[in-house]
Amino acid sequence: MAKDIVAGIFCCVGTLFFIIGTTGLLRMPDLFTRLHPSTKCDTLGACSVIVGMAVHNGWSWDLLKLAFIVCFLLLSSATCGHAIGRSALRRNIPYWKKKEANEDGHGA
Amino acid sequence: MTSVRALRNRILLFFLLLLFWIVLTASLALHELVMGAVCSAFVGVLTVSLLGRALDPRITPAVLLRIPVFMLRLAWEIVKANIDVAKIILNPRLPIDPRIVEYRTYLPGDLPRTVFSDSITLTPGTVTVELRGEVLNVHCLCPYHEEGLPGLERLVAWLFGVRKPVGEEGNG
Amino acid sequence: MDRFLTAVALVISVNAFICLYRAAVGPTTQDRVLGVNIVGTKTLVVVVLVTYILAENYFLDVAIVYALLLFVVTVALSRYLEAEGWKEVP
Repeated sequence: MAKDIVAGIFCCVGTLFFIIGTTGLLRMPDLFTRLHPSTKCDTLGACSVIVGMAVHNGWSWDLLKLAFIVCFLLLSSATCGHAIGRSALRRNIPYWKKKEANEDGHGA
Repeated sequence: MTSVRALRNRILLFFLLLLFWIVLTASLALHELVMGAVCSAFVGVLTVSLLGRALDPRITPAVLLRIPVFMLRLAWEIVKANIDVAKIILNPRLPIDPRIVEYRTYLPGDLPRTVFSDSITLTPGTVTVELRGEVLNVHCLCPYHEEGLPGLERLVAWLFGVRKPVGEEGNG
Repeated sequence: MDRFLTAVALVISVNAFICLYRAAVGPTTQDRVLGVNIVGTKTLVVVVLVTYILAENYFLDVAIVYALLLFVVTVALSRYLEAEGWKEVP
């Protein structure tokens, strides 16, 4: 029973971070700032849900597979963010800057 | 000298592939292990020139022992980073002031730099967008995120047992 | 527990659909690649959840292959997009 509660908490935290990542993806003004929610919130959300599933699973061989997925996800999301950012930089996609006059920070 | 390293690379690659096979098949039965050894040897011989580059001589047993501590500290940084970014995203005013800064690192070799840039991407408000030699172009979400970089560099230097050269400024 | 996991999987799927907006609208091609990458991450997690909802172990192998494919797709597309002589298709 305690195991289920811990797994449930991990799943809820992960889902929360997924929702935050989606919000960030829709709200951010340009590609480079969109990389931040995608590489951080999504990775932590995915890792959190998978850790919750590992707790739910208990000791078995599947634990190794889940650990492998978590490690690979951490590596691959960082590398994917780097690859996308570099391709945008090489394509000279302009990046969004805060306008000095506009204190609100919403000048796109 | 090179042949010794090539042999070492081959043996390491074989054991890594065998480990991966055991994780995938999820059993320790003898026939599975024999089949896995044959497959790993075959794949290892075929791809040693491709995958052998990943087996840097910098990976020593001491480094392997430090990896769990490094992972734990990095995990703590990641959690902090996520809460920070989540606060920024959920703030209705979206208080961001993004900029691309150049950071000159003193870490030698490809592997420490790769680990450093991946760690940067996973920690507060910073994404490495280009890695050219010893210069990293880092996209920062807010100016104060830039201040976390030297600490992270020290962490990676500790992992690989690299000392900071005296009389050189790390930040460029 | 099964109902709870199904609810979590549903919420994540809805999230993935919302992310498809960025993949469809995104002003640059890199935005679309990023959107596809995020949808892929969410699908990966849903596959892991399905493993435990249906109590079928072999879905974990599907998840591993999915993670590997997602990585290859994103890196290959980004490398392709940064090549010389490539033009944005309106």
